[in-house]
Amino acid sequence: MSEDIDENINSLFQRMLPLLSSFFLVLLSYLPLNFMFLNVIHPAITLVCAYFWLVHRPDLFNLWSVCLLGIFDNVISAAPMGSNIFAMLVLFVLTNAASKFLTAKPFVVLWYGFMALSLGTILLRWLIVSVYYSQFLPLDGMFFSYLITVFCYPFIALFLAFVQNNLIQDDE
Amino acid sequence: MKRRRSLFLHLSHIRLLAKKFALVFLFLFAFVLMLINKTDTILIEKTSNVATDVISPIIEVFAIPAKLIANGYDYFRDLKQIHADNMRLKEENRKLNLLYDKFKSLEIENRLLADLLNYVTPPKSDFITARVIAEEDDAFSHSMIAYIGDKIVKKGQIAMSDRGVVGRVHRVGRAYARVLLITDINSKIPVMIESSRIRGILAGDNTSLPKLVFTPLDAVINIGDRVVTSGVAGVFPAGLPIGRVVSVNKNEIIVKPFGALEQLEYIRLVDYGLEGLLQNENKMMNDEAANE
Repeated sequence: MSEDIDENINSLFQRMLPLLSSFFLVLLSYLPLNFMFLNVIHPAITLVCAYFWLVHRPDLFNLWSVCLLGIFDNVISAAPMGSNIFAMLVLFVLTNAASKFLTAKPFVVLWYGFMALSLGTILLRWLIVSVYYSQFLPLDGMFFSYLITVFCYPFIALFLAFVQNNLIQDDE
Repeated sequence: MKRRRSLFLHLSHIRLLAKKFALVFLFLFAFVLMLINKTDTILIEKTSNVATDVISPIIEVFAIPAKLIANGYDYFRDLKQIHADNMRLKEENRKLNLLYDKFKSLEIENRLLADLLNYVTPPKSDFITARVIAEEDDAFSHSMIAYIGDKIVKKGQIAMSDRGVVGRVHRVGRAYARVLLITDINSKIPVMIESSRIRGILAGDNTSLPKLVFTPLDAVINIGDRVVTSGVAGVFPAGLPIGRVVSVNKNEIIVKPFGALEQLEYIRLVDYGLEGLLQNENKMMNDEAANE
């Protein structure tokens, strides 16, 4: 009986690992580190995490996980409430639409895919936040943030791949 | 049997519909949240304060080891230029000693003249020093979260670094306060040019360099002019240093803040007892709390 409970808890933890690892990285991204370029502008970690898990483990990272990650990021951030959730939902729609081009593809293809989809997501978020403030936000800061996010993708993906390969055990 | 079957079909049908419309529902949810946020109700502010209080201790746990690593990196980086820094600081100290003597004599002169004119001195300030535990500098917002413990901090209090104003307290939780930086798009501070007393508004736009707007059309503003608070609106006292003009174009005047906003570890949250335009807002919050 207790073995069954242990197994269930373990299974639940395994299924939650994509979301938990994403929460962990989001928290890290808000730390005040005076380290290289990271003190000037922060990469959009939520986009990287959501994209990685939606491409690699859509069975463990669904629409509700995407929404929860968006809410979590929104709570820490001072950006308009709802704008982060909106961005995550846009990424979800785009990634699902492009899933047949991304499934089981080499890393470089996935990286290009992220470049394209995250650009669309960030631009749409920029547009909706600009509407919210009734003025256009500066594009240069947004593009700098986009470039850093794309640059950081392989490093974050490396950590997430470690979680996927070593910590998540599939039920046979 | 038939009834059960129809019930089963009914439930599965609802589930399918829910799945189909979940995405639409969540998009609507995000829009509704933005709309509520736009109206700036007390509900959103309270929810946000509670959420900050819940999440901030978790960030703080990660902050300690991360800070140690970052400090180690800084230590080895700084070793390289320690000699040059030492020489520069010695020279700076010599100049400061000269200025100190001058300052002392001016202070005495100022006190005598103030007594002579029966001048009403500005309000006394009270401050706490808070540790920055999280910061956010992206294209969509510029803010930070500071640990205030059990100290009383009010919305609207001024956040200062050792060099000048960096922002103001935007939201206050039980042990954490969110500070809106002067570079955030929501930040609008009445300022003036220190030497010419030309007034304007320092407006953030989510870049690292805020803009000086609403200055008189015939105003002569030069690169290098110091920008200080003007005291208009009664939230900030007059004369607090903010930054220096770094660019003057036909369309915009750009100011570089004195406080290194991206490298702040500690900030002072100063209470001058001025609430100005925020008086009504704070009163509403207090009334709500009293009613509860």
